[in-house]
Amino acid sequence: MAAVGAWRLLRPGRRWFSETVPSAPSPPGSPLYPPVVASLTAKSKAAKLRRLQCFNERVHAAATVEEKLRLYGKLQRPKYTVYPQTFALNADRWYRSFTRTVLVPGMPPRAAPTKPPVAAAGETPEADRAPEPGVQAPAVAAAPEAAKTPEPAAGVPCVDIGELRSLACDALLQESFYQKKKRPFLYRDQDHTPGPFLTQLVSTLAASLSGHNPLLAASSLDLNPEVNYYWHHGEEVVVHGHRKGRIDPVRFQINDNPHLQIRVPKQLPEVVPLESDLGDVPVIDHKPSKLPLFKKQYENKVFIGSKVADPCCYGHTQFHLLPDKLKRERFLRKRLEDQIEVVYRSNGIASLFAWTAAQAMYQGFWSEADVSRPFVSQAVVTDGKYFAFFCYQLNTLALTAETVRNNPRKNICWGTDSKPLYDVVEDGNVKGFNDEVLLQLVHFLLNRPKEL
Amino acid sequence: CVSGVRQAQWLTKTKLVEGLPPAVQGIMDNPALGLQELEERAKHLVSHARLWDTAEVAPRREQYCPVLFENLMHICRLMSGKYPSLSKRMLARNCRIAATWERESILLQVRGLSGILMNSMTPIPPVASKEEILATKEHVLETFYPIAPTIDLQEVNVYKELNDTGQCFRDGYPYSHPHTLFFLESANVCTDRFRPEQLRAKMLMFAFGNALAKAKAVHGNDPKVLEQPVVVQSIGTDGQLFQFMVFQLNTTDLVSNDGVKNLVWIDSDQNLYERAQCVPEVKKRVVTKPAGISGFQPDTFKKFLALYLHGTV
Repeated sequence: MAAVGAWRLLRPGRRWFSETVPSAPSPPGSPLYPPVVASLTAKSKAAKLRRLQCFNERVHAAATVEEKLRLYGKLQRPKYTVYPQTFALNADRWYRSFTRTVLVPGMPPRAAPTKPPVAAAGETPEADRAPEPGVQAPAVAAAPEAAKTPEPAAGVPCVDIGELRSLACDALLQESFYQKKKRPFLYRDQDHTPGPFLTQLVSTLAASLSGHNPLLAASSLDLNPEVNYYWHHGEEVVVHGHRKGRIDPVRFQINDNPHLQIRVPKQLPEVVPLESDLGDVPVIDHKPSKLPLFKKQYENKVFIGSKVADPCCYGHTQFHLLPDKLKRERFLRKRLEDQIEVVYRSNGIASLFAWTAAQAMYQGFWSEADVSRPFVSQAVVTDGKYFAFFCYQLNTLALTAETVRNNPRKNICWGTDSKPLYDVVEDGNVKGFNDEVLLQLVHFLLNRPKEL
Repeated sequence: CVSGVRQAQWLTKTKLVEGLPPAVQGIMDNPALGLQELEERAKHLVSHARLWDTAEVAPRREQYCPVLFENLMHICRLMSGKYPSLSKRMLARNCRIAATWERESILLQVRGLSGILMNSMTPIPPVASKEEILATKEHVLETFYPIAPTIDLQEVNVYKELNDTGQCFRDGYPYSHPHTLFFLESANVCTDRFRPEQLRAKMLMFAFGNALAKAKAVHGNDPKVLEQPVVVQSIGTDGQLFQFMVFQLNTTDLVSNDGVKNLVWIDSDQNLYERAQCVPEVKKRVVTKPAGISGFQPDTFKKFLALYLHGTV
C-alpha cells in the first residue's frame, strides 16, 4: 500500500533528522558475501590452481584408504610406463632422477643385534662398506677370517651356516641336476632352472630361519605377485591434441612382477634418519622419452601385492629374476660390459621405489601428505647365479612439481654389485660355493624391527 | 568311470578304511604343536588367497587355488623353526611318474604328471600294525561283474615297461622317499575339473604308482609281501574342498586276488570354509551376506598340517 511504502521511504529520513547515533554494525555472524575465489571452470592459471586445490582437499578428506587410492588414480591420461627390468643404457641414472633417489654403494651399516648371546656385532663381510658405528670397529679386523668359519656364522648369532649351505646346495642340485626335466623352451631358460631354484631356496631358507626371526614366522610369501605404483614428477607442455599448449605433470607408472616377495605385518626399522642427505640426485635435462620410455594410457594402479585389508601390509624382501633378454652373455657379446651392473641397479631402484611408495600410500600418505616415518624394504636381484643386494629407504613421496620445489628429503638406495653364488654344478656337486653371498642373504632374511 | 575309488581299489588291490589313520589323528590332537594359534593365521591366508591377492575385484580359481596351496605350504614349512628336521623336505613340481604292474593277467600302467610331489629324506613309518595287515587277507575285493574292471581305461601297446621314480629323479638324490602328493584342480571351467570321486580315484592311482615305483627300486622287481610297507600320502583340492588320503603299500604281489592287500585311509570332502564373499551382497538396500570368509573349518587345516608333519613329528 502506498502509505506503507511511504513510511518505509521516510524512515531513513527520520533517523537523519533525529540525529540518533547510528547503531553499531551487527557483529559479523557470517560474511555477507561469499569469498572471492578464482573460477572453477575457466581456462586460466588461477582456475587450474583452484581445481588442484579442490582435488587435494577431496583426497585429504577421503574416509578410507581405498577411497583415497581411487581418487588419486581416477584421472587417466597418457603416462610413461617405467620397466624395472630394462635394456636401456644407463637406465639407473634416469630412474634415480625420476624417483629422487641417491645411490650409495655397499650395504648399510647394521646395528648390533640386541638379543643374547651375541657372537660378534652384526656385520657383513662385504669388501666395500659404508662407515660403521664405533661398536663394531674392534671386530672389523676379525671379519675376513670369521667369515670363513663354518658355524656359527660371523656376526649372526646361533645360525648354522653349514646347515643353510647344505639346504642351498640341495635346492640347486635338485633343480639343475637330480630332477629330470624336458629341454627348456626356446628363450625360456630362466623358467627351467633358475626360477624354481630361487623359489625353493627362498622358501626353505625363510622356513628354517623363522625360528630366529619372529617376523618371518608371521610373514606372507607371494609367488609371482603384482606390484604397481603411479606418480607425477616434473612438468611438460602437451605437444599435440585438443589439450595442446597446456602445462601437465609428467606421469609415470611402474607395473612390476617380482619372482617372489615376503610381506610382513610390522615395518622394518629405519636405516638412517628421515632427513639425511647421503648424496646427490642426478638431474637429466632431456625428456623421459629419450631413455627410451613410451607413453600409454590405462588404469592407474597402486598395489603392493595384496589389498589394503591384508594385515601383512609392509614389505620385507623381494626377489627378482632377470629374464633371458638381459643375460650377461648378451651384453658381453654386444661389448656393453658396464651395462651389466646397470641392469641390476635399475631393477633394484625402480622395483623397490614402487613397492615402498605403494606401502606408504596404503598407510594413507601421498604426495601432498608426505611420509612421517621412513619406509624400508630390501630386494635381491639375480639371474640364477649372480646375486645383487639392494636396500631402499623411502623418505619422501612428494615428487610432483609443486611439492618437490621445497622438499629437502631424498630417497636412499644402498646396493652391491652382482656376485656369483657358485661357480659350476658338475656331477651332483656344487663347485665354488660362495659363502659371502649366502651370508648376505641370511642377513637380509633376519632383518627385523628392534623390539622383536 | 564306474565308481572311481571302487574301481581304483580293485586295480591296486587295496582295502579302504574311512577316516584318517590314528597316527595322524594323534598329531592333530597333540597340544604341544600349538595348532590353536595357527588358526588365526590360517584364516588370514584363506582370506589372502580368496579375497586380497589381486588388484581386480575377485581372483579366479586358476589364481586362488595355487595361491591357497602355496600359503598353506608356507605355514607348514614355518613349523620347521620349531622342528628343524622338517627342513629335510623338498618340493618337486611337474614330476612325471610311471609304474607298471599286472592284475589278474592284465598289464596296467599309470603314467603322467602327478602334480606336486613332496619328497623327504626319511620314509614315513608304517601306519597299520602287522595284525591289521595280516587281517586284510580275509578281505575280498569288490568286483563289478559283469563290467570288466578295466572299463574306461585306455588300452595302449607298451613297448617299454617303465618302472621307477628314478624316471623323475636321478640316482643319488638325497630326498629319495616320496612323502605327499598334492593335486590342485584349478581349472576355471567346472567341467575341466575332476569331480571329487574322480579326484580321489586319481589320487589313489598316483599314490599307488609312486609307492610301487619306490618299492621296486628298494626291494627289486619280484612280487612279494613287503617287510617294510611303503607309505605315501596324498592331498587333493579344488581351492575349497579337500580330500585327504594315506596309502600303505603292503605287497607287490598284485597278480592274484588273494593274500595281503594294500590299505588306504580316505577322508573325503572336507570343506576348508563355506563361502568367500569378495563384495558384500546387498538385496533391497540390506546387506544379506557381508564380505569376508564365512564358515571357516579349522579341522581341515589341522588335517593338512598333520599330514605334513606325519613321519617327522
